Amino acid sequence: MFDMQAGLRPRLQNPIQNDMAKLPTSVDKIVAQYGPHKAYTPVGGFHGHADPDKLVKTHCCFCGMQCGIQLKVKENTVVGFEPWMDFPFNEGRMCPKGVARYLQNNHPDRLLSPIERVEGEGFRPVDWETAMSRTVSEIKRIQSTYGNNAFGMLSGVSLSNELSYMVGKFARVALKTANLDYNGRLCMVSAGAGNKKAFGLDRISNSWADLKHAKVIMICGSNVSETFPTLIHYIWEARDNGAKIIVVDPRITPVARTADLYLPVRPGTDSALFGAMLQQLVENDWLDHDFIDNYTSDFQETIDAVKDYSLEWAEEVTGIPAESIKKAAELWGKTDTSFLLHARGIEHHSKGVDNVLGCINLVLATGRIGKPYCGYGTITGQGNGQGGREHGHKCDQLPGNRDITNPEHRKYIADVWGIDEKDLPGKGLTAYELVEAIHRGEIKGLISICFNPIVSLPNNNMVREALEKLEFYVAIDFFLNDTARHADIVLAGALHEEEEGTGTTAEGRVVKINAAVTPPGDARTDASILKELAARLGAGDKFAFENSEAIFNELRVASKGGTADYYGITYEKIVNNYGVFWPCPALDHPGTPRLWEDRKFATPDGKAHFNPAPYREPGEPTDKEYPVILTTGRVVSQYLSGTQTRRIGRLIDPYPEPLLEIHPSLAQQFGIKERELVKVVTRRGEATFPAQIVTTIRKDTVFLPYHWAGPISANQLTIGNLDPVSKIPEFKVCACKLIPLGVPAPPSSESKAYQSA
Amino acid sequence: MAAGPDSNFNPDMEFFVDMQRCIGCRACEAACAECETNGQEPMIHVNYVDRAHSVQTTVQVCMHCEDPACANVCPADAIAKDGNGVVHSANTSRCIGCSNCVLACPFGVPKKMEAAELMMKCNLCYDRTSVGKKPMCATVCPSGALFYGTREEIRKKRPNSDPVNTFKFGAQTVHTKVNIMMPKGSTELRVH
Amino acid sequence: MFKIFSDLNRKALLNASIAMVLVIVLVYVGSRDLQNFDAALIAYLFGTVFAVFGIMYRYSVWVQRPPTRLYWRRTWKFVFSKRFFPYLGFVITQFVKNILFQRFIYPRGKSRWIGHFLLATGCMLAFAVTIPLTFGWIHFTLLPGTTDIYVAHVFGFAVSKFELGGLIAFNAFHILNWCSLFVIIGAILMMRRRLTNGGLIATQSFQDDWMPLVLLLAISVTGLGLTFDYSFMQGKTFEFMSVTHAITVILFLVWIPFGKFFHIFQRPAQLGTNVYRKEGERLGMAVCPHTGEAFATQLHVNDLKKVTRELDFNFDMEGGGSHLDYSPEGKRAALAKAQFAAREKEGSFFG
Repeated sequence: MFDMQAGLRPRLQNPIQNDMAKLPTSVDKIVAQYGPHKAYTPVGGFHGHADPDKLVKTHCCFCGMQCGIQLKVKENTVVGFEPWMDFPFNEGRMCPKGVARYLQNNHPDRLLSPIERVEGEGFRPVDWETAMSRTVSEIKRIQSTYGNNAFGMLSGVSLSNELSYMVGKFARVALKTANLDYNGRLCMVSAGAGNKKAFGLDRISNSWADLKHAKVIMICGSNVSETFPTLIHYIWEARDNGAKIIVVDPRITPVARTADLYLPVRPGTDSALFGAMLQQLVENDWLDHDFIDNYTSDFQETIDAVKDYSLEWAEEVTGIPAESIKKAAELWGKTDTSFLLHARGIEHHSKGVDNVLGCINLVLATGRIGKPYCGYGTITGQGNGQGGREHGHKCDQLPGNRDITNPEHRKYIADVWGIDEKDLPGKGLTAYELVEAIHRGEIKGLISICFNPIVSLPNNNMVREALEKLEFYVAIDFFLNDTARHADIVLAGALHEEEEGTGTTAEGRVVKINAAVTPPGDARTDASILKELAARLGAGDKFAFENSEAIFNELRVASKGGTADYYGITYEKIVNNYGVFWPCPALDHPGTPRLWEDRKFATPDGKAHFNPAPYREPGEPTDKEYPVILTTGRVVSQYLSGTQTRRIGRLIDPYPEPLLEIHPSLAQQFGIKERELVKVVTRRGEATFPAQIVTTIRKDTVFLPYHWAGPISANQLTIGNLDPVSKIPEFKVCACKLIPLGVPAPPSSESKAYQSA
Repeated sequence: MAAGPDSNFNPDMEFFVDMQRCIGCRACEAACAECETNGQEPMIHVNYVDRAHSVQTTVQVCMHCEDPACANVCPADAIAKDGNGVVHSANTSRCIGCSNCVLACPFGVPKKMEAAELMMKCNLCYDRTSVGKKPMCATVCPSGALFYGTREEIRKKRPNSDPVNTFKFGAQTVHTKVNIMMPKGSTELRVH
Repeated sequence: MFKIFSDLNRKALLNASIAMVLVIVLVYVGSRDLQNFDAALIAYLFGTVFAVFGIMYRYSVWVQRPPTRLYWRRTWKFVFSKRFFPYLGFVITQFVKNILFQRFIYPRGKSRWIGHFLLATGCMLAFAVTIPLTFGWIHFTLLPGTTDIYVAHVFGFAVSKFELGGLIAFNAFHILNWCSLFVIIGAILMMRRRLTNGGLIATQSFQDDWMPLVLLLAISVTGLGLTFDYSFMQGKTFEFMSVTHAITVILFLVWIPFGKFFHIFQRPAQLGTNVYRKEGERLGMAVCPHTGEAFATQLHVNDLKKVTRELDFNFDMEGGGSHLDYSPEGKRAALAKAQFAAREKEGSFFG
């Protein structure tokens, strides 16, 4: 049964597949040794779970909510969890990932020492001295041969604030490369760019508590129910209080199912909807003229850009009934308190920034910001997506959300770091561009931490080819992730629960991550690995941090005066107050849960900026040959590229393999039956999935979740078009065709999809 | 059972279920497996109602009936209700794995563990509720589909809903300890 | 706990009385008019006779309950049908697997199975030895004219002889010690579970869960004590050991019909349910109108409709059909749909 499926796998026909030989050995051998394997709690629980040595208060690592959680620790092992009822955001509430996250500790796949690639064999453990000296000599060789920028660094924001800051400094001061970027490039950058344009600052405007009495909540492109389950509490609470909710999504997700108004938008047309709504606000004068006149700029040119956006036109473009758009504008226009939330659904586009600005225009036009129960923001996706994007491991950014091209900002940070401003590298390439540069042969060496681009970047067949061209690739990770299978050296790093630090939640609350246990075996904390690498690269004096608090204290100074000002936040304050909201510029400052109450925005002129956001077509419209829209997203039981969650049995079993969601009318058109295998083909690749026929998706769109790697990776299909400003890839829309294979898929329960073999 | 005077079971706390709030995330299921009484086996049920046409999910805990059908049909006298009204999982020494309870429970709650020839079911997280804590599922539930607290609390939080614990299945009326939230003024939920 | 006697069940009383009389007659006949009866065991005999009465009484009451009666009748009907031989074979393999070796406990936990297997094996072996001894069905004599050859008599007939000090003798005289060791290890394993497992700690009670283990432990320890006494202490504590042993054993016997030990007699019903399911599968499966999938045997669903009716439950639906026609998943979906409809009609899902 299973062999049959293997025979149908497209990898055999895929021209890229001969490159699989570039792995040190067969995928199956690597999987057998390093997983992913499914981990379960033993029947009756881990030893000592009923009688733990301690309960460690920390936070979940699996999304921007960063729910409070307590880990049970027995003999330096995490053996279970206990809800943390006092933490105000979630009061004990968790999602399944949070509940099962303790299983990533004590996992059989855990890297317990550095490993190095052995051609024909796979990987073998090596000691730290060997791993470090080889890494450093390769870095030096490549940089002396091809220049400093020929060694790139990719990072990620599941790292703590301390590590994010340290990575930014490491790349610029120790590696001396401009080419550092991070996986937030696939996540929050459109929102960040839009927010900086409009407000001069990149953070949600209010804490979640302000959702409670918002009378209208508009949710655009966010499957809150599956991606931020614990945020649902606040939305449902608002509905209990009478809020109307509007959901914009091509799929009827659980948050959309009972929505007061559901707008089934055609992927890639969000800005047309927002433009048409703005036009309706103008036509009906549902505007806050006082706010617009006194606290904003560029209103006129912004509304000029949408003056022709009639309801009929918008219906034609977006596929949403004109009546519904009108209703949405009316609900939004006539209320007195409101909250607008968006997430990757509108941000993962070649016009992600425009979509964000379209939302912001609606908020500014009605002036509902900077007041109780009136707010706007993106729902940050990654664990530390908020904090991690503020302190300088973006290619164009320095700590405190400073600009690497701004001479004053450069001077300030160079002083904090004790280097000459001239030695501080300039702006580098963004994540996808960086991989393209590798593919072009311009970047020869790579160090990665907390990033699994072979799963998470679009058009990942290109990513694989690029990885194979690297002269040297070193990864820091706690498991051998799918990308690190291509590495020459993997340095065994630390899990979230093994390293102290801080994180910043999606509402801008800086929280304390506590180390529950120490790294097992010869694995090390990420900070100590970076420290040693820096020392061996000759920058040891710049990284002589005693502990994580010392890193944080330097971060505080580095962020001082920036828009993301952490100066007034200390570890002690965080612990005593269940977190502190930035900006917090002074030690006696209580933090800022609600921004803009004084109507003074962080832009140079102090005003909030309207920005014209005219509609543009997506990068790859459907055509005769590729007639179906493909969109991608997540499922509740998996997190990002699955390095952690594809190793936890209880998270794998509820949704073991990616399914192609397809509407019955489209299925009928192609002759596809429930659970039959369908080959999805785009201009970049092809892959086969079982069909799940549902009426909860638009008739012209199919959906795939992206958490899996290898032959069933959805990102083989997605397109590498980038937003011109934010450089976010267009994950959410491309054109595909469907080829039914006419064979039923084997049962999901037998799937080995989690292994990404 | 152990519901003697030594138990710290809080009789003011009640279970309120509203599956229309359920987002199908299965946090309750993962958390239920953590309950000490079930040995890593979740007892709560989360299902799609009709996935082809809706993402609606149901979430079902044991309703702890006043006159439990499961206990009545048990040929082995294995199911007992204690003084707090908690209907317990099958007594492991008696249960003969016949599945009568699985098929007779009008709420579809008991589970037959085939290999162990044993019925298991939700026992209101007895290890937690008997010491005054909330059940694991209701503690973690992010949507409020599962809520454990006092009547006062739920009335405040959801003033336009009423808890109902009378259910009609055809000719049969069933009264339960666990409540389902219904539109204000409802006194029963007719299933068929 | 004496509720079962509060309103006397005539049929059960009759069955119990017959069983009791039968045992007395069998003791009389089997011991050759009490010739071979060991008077020292008289207290044990009384305890056993009481246990027989109590077990039979409770069993009869139990079997009269509608669901139990149904299984009881169905099982015998299916076993003694034209498929007698296949079912006999099935019952025998099931008996060995699940009664003698309690294989079904293994998936519930390895140490739990080991503990239970030791307890069960110790007890069953001990029953097999002590009951015939108590009833005078077995006794031993010295072969006339010898000093070291023993003869075993069953129902008064000499069946075998063995040398004193030989392997057989050693085992025959020490079998109860082996039983005691099994039971002691088993009881300790089970007690350890009850002390460390949070779920058990929350739900266990002294009377139902600890007392049986304590009693078995006491029986075994005092039993071993007897051996220890005559082997190493020249019988100095014989009086004490024999009295305490007798008291614990008689307590155990008298307790059987009331407490946890009754499960020993209920457990074989598991064989019946398996026969019932096998036969049901042969006859055809019930398909849930909601999921469209088979979920139980149609025989089972039909029987349950009858049984629930007898128990004053009526799940019949107005337009025909029954709520019991739905699988558990179908029932849950029906409830959710009904609640959805009520919410939808009201126009508000929240508040």
